[in-house]
Amino acid sequence: MNAIKHLFADLDPLLHERGRMAIVSVLAAVDSLTFTELRDQLEMTDGNLSVHLQKLDEKGYVAIDKKFVGKRPQTTCRLTKAGREAFTRYLDHLEAIVRQGRTKPGA
Amino acid sequence: MDARQATQTLEVIRTLMERTTQYQLLTARASLVAGSLAGAGALAFLGLDAADPGHFGAVWAVVFVGSLAATVVGTLTRGRASGEEVWSRQARTVLFALAPALFAALVLTVFFFARGWHLWLPGVWMLCYAQGALATSAYAPAPIRWLGLAVLLLGGPTLFLSPEWSVGMMGLVFGAGHLTLGAVLLTRERRQASLRLHTDVA
Repeated sequence: MNAIKHLFADLDPLLHERGRMAIVSVLAAVDSLTFTELRDQLEMTDGNLSVHLQKLDEKGYVAIDKKFVGKRPQTTCRLTKAGREAFTRYLDHLEAIVRQGRTKPGA
Repeated sequence: MDARQATQTLEVIRTLMERTTQYQLLTARASLVAGSLAGAGALAFLGLDAADPGHFGAVWAVVFVGSLAATVVGTLTRGRASGEEVWSRQARTVLFALAPALFAALVLTVFFFARGWHLWLPGVWMLCYAQGALATSAYAPAPIRWLGLAVLLLGGPTLFLSPEWSVGMMGLVFGAGHLTLGAVLLTRERRQASLRLHTDVA
């Protein structure tokens, strides 16, 4: 296995899906976002966003809090410590692939 | 995944994070209008007397209100076109960051006018503007930070120069400054339009 294939194999498969990668990228930039804000920011459907959030929640990357604001339910999402660490590792891997590509033209 | 795809993914992540934290509805056109108005305001004093508080106040009030109107219209139009919420979390953050500098500028304007020191106001306005621009720099596109820094560095000398320079400095700093900002934002808008981010990731 060459170096790039090895790096690629190390990429977190949960984050290496563009919808979930987008969710984590957005959440990494802020403390928290409501479900609606996240949906609007990424222009995803409710169902699509829910499925991705559920997978990230199961892995412990995202914390989802549900509460009532007045009489209306509000869902808030935030990146957990584990999620932030996984995202940082993911970025490190991408940067390593870029560096590897630069040292081996045509790789 | 190869190095090119990794670079593209990193670029998408960076853009997503910027879009989440930065106020994106500031338009290049509004900046160009503000720069043109400030330049025209400075040129108006070729025929008007800057020492007259009425002339001075009227010209710069028109420039300020015109620039504000261009910003509001530009923001609403862009928000509507892109389907983005105008009164967003980012917009509120930027406005709260701007508020202290705006309030200080208002109080100082009244204070200087009341004492007939209006020709010293351009330096004061520049320093207040720079404070506001730098306060919002964490949530605004990067060129705002550079404009804020430039205005901060020019505000001090303007205050210390004799009042005869005040109108010229207004034209230079707010006129040329906003025209440059508008040109830079226009380039960024065109680049971002070609990125088509959402269709790639959502």
